[in-house]
Amino acid sequence: MIRDITIGQYFPGNSPIHKLDPRAKLVLTFVYIVSIFFCKNFAALAISVAYLVFAVLLSRISLKLLAKSLKPIVIIVLLTSVLQIFYNDDGTVLFQRGWFEITTGGLVMAAFTTVRIIALVLASSLLTYTTSPTLLTDAIERLFSPLKKIKINVHSIAMMMTIALRFIPLLIDEVDKIMSAQKARGAELDTGSLLKRGQALVPVFIPLFVNAFTRAYDLAFAMECRCYRGGEGRTRLRVMKFCARDYVAFGVTIVCLAGIAVSNYFLTALI
Amino acid sequence: MPILETQNLSYVYGENTPFRVQALKDVNISIEKGELVGVIGHTGSGKSTLMQHLDGLVKPTSGKVLLEGEDINASKAATRAARFKVGLCFQYPEYQLFESTVYRDIAFGPHNMGLSMEEVDERVRRAADYLEIRDAWMEKSPFDLSGGEKRRVAIAGVLAMEPEILILDEPTAGLDPRGRAQIASLIEKYRVSTGSTVMIVSHSMDDIAESATRVIVMDNGTVALSGTVDEVFREVQTLAQHGLDVPQITRVFLDLRARGVQVRTDIYTEKQARRELVGLLRKEGVLQ
Repeated sequence: MIRDITIGQYFPGNSPIHKLDPRAKLVLTFVYIVSIFFCKNFAALAISVAYLVFAVLLSRISLKLLAKSLKPIVIIVLLTSVLQIFYNDDGTVLFQRGWFEITTGGLVMAAFTTVRIIALVLASSLLTYTTSPTLLTDAIERLFSPLKKIKINVHSIAMMMTIALRFIPLLIDEVDKIMSAQKARGAELDTGSLLKRGQALVPVFIPLFVNAFTRAYDLAFAMECRCYRGGEGRTRLRVMKFCARDYVAFGVTIVCLAGIAVSNYFLTALI
Repeated sequence: MPILETQNLSYVYGENTPFRVQALKDVNISIEKGELVGVIGHTGSGKSTLMQHLDGLVKPTSGKVLLEGEDINASKAATRAARFKVGLCFQYPEYQLFESTVYRDIAFGPHNMGLSMEEVDERVRRAADYLEIRDAWMEKSPFDLSGGEKRRVAIAGVLAMEPEILILDEPTAGLDPRGRAQIASLIEKYRVSTGSTVMIVSHSMDDIAESATRVIVMDNGTVALSGTVDEVFREVQTLAQHGLDVPQITRVFLDLRARGVQVRTDIYTEKQARRELVGLLRKEGVLQ
């Protein structure tokens, strides 16, 4: 069902990963994702995967939940790895029938792509699962605050992101409700030609937009009532400050990156 | 034969996820033609989920929903037919209005049934009549109406399909007392004049006590109690266990009794209360 979507969801917890400074988490996730693409051989890849597994275990997020975040990308992973097997003809031929051949190079490439995509998705899921949307946008605002110098209103953008993230689950719920209500009035939403289906969505989207605008107005009034006037001079309830935990995280990451660099340098590159 | 019945109906949300919830457990209810059934239960008791099953919007995990003896989930055609025979009006139905005019919005349901233009027109007029929707509104945008008016238009949209069974989920939620009374009396008028079956889901005991011929109490996905208004509201203790209270007026009489005043406690509506109090005051010689 539509409400099974878990992307971008936050699962509160009390683990060391949850407690990391969101700015640190954001930067480290970004660095990690980039680093996955610099792994040139299995040793480097293994270090990278070990780092991720370590983080997952520390976060105490259930593996089932993480597996669920992989669901939407199963097809992409399968497709890309199959294509790699088809189109890569480096290395020795293992199997051949007509134009179709499987080579060691193809298998290695397929393995690398699969692991990279999965690690990428898991790392970003881990970030959103362990960081509340508000903290995340706060972190983005802080990290991008130097852009204020070139007249970019970082605060407004961050606030819009926070609100957008907050509204996603509400809107999903609402689509679900409106669809049921229109189906109860005999609307056929999942049969017929593409054009018909498109038309059938009108009774769903009009109420959805109308309600979204009403909500937006209400929210704007509520914010004004509480004297919101943008980021200028606004203080924070929770001031972000790096502590020992964050420096340890940076340290571990640097060790991991060094490991990857060393493996890349001393062992033969497979890709 | 009951017009609508469920057999061992069970439903599970999010099977195989950490959020698994058993929303319905072995629900067996049967509704006779012409009844006005009140379904009560606190939030999360499964009443809304049950209503969605009765309209074929949700497929049961196990068990059956029988409409006039036929399984509504037997085929796609059967489900669709059931949607027209069972009219389900959701909570806050005004949020489903979308057309450019009130008339066209009410016509959406009958139009989906594939009726002729004349038939659609007749049904829209009849439904508008039942809900006392003025002709002047018909060409207005539904978004220009007030909350209570929108509610009536939305209910008319379901009524216009002329369902044999009308299910209303919290039809008076969020309205002021006058709006509540108006909607309740319009629904009752509709039921009496058409002889159709009506189910009202509510957590307001007072609404239910006023008009229901039978009450079903849901708790934790099961039917906790079922019977006439009298049979159900007599069970003060059991209701409390399920997180529910008796109607406010009944509470008054229970408290009077507890203070030693000799009154009946099977009082569920204002009318009964007035009669009982007047009788009591006469007996005491306060009233002539």
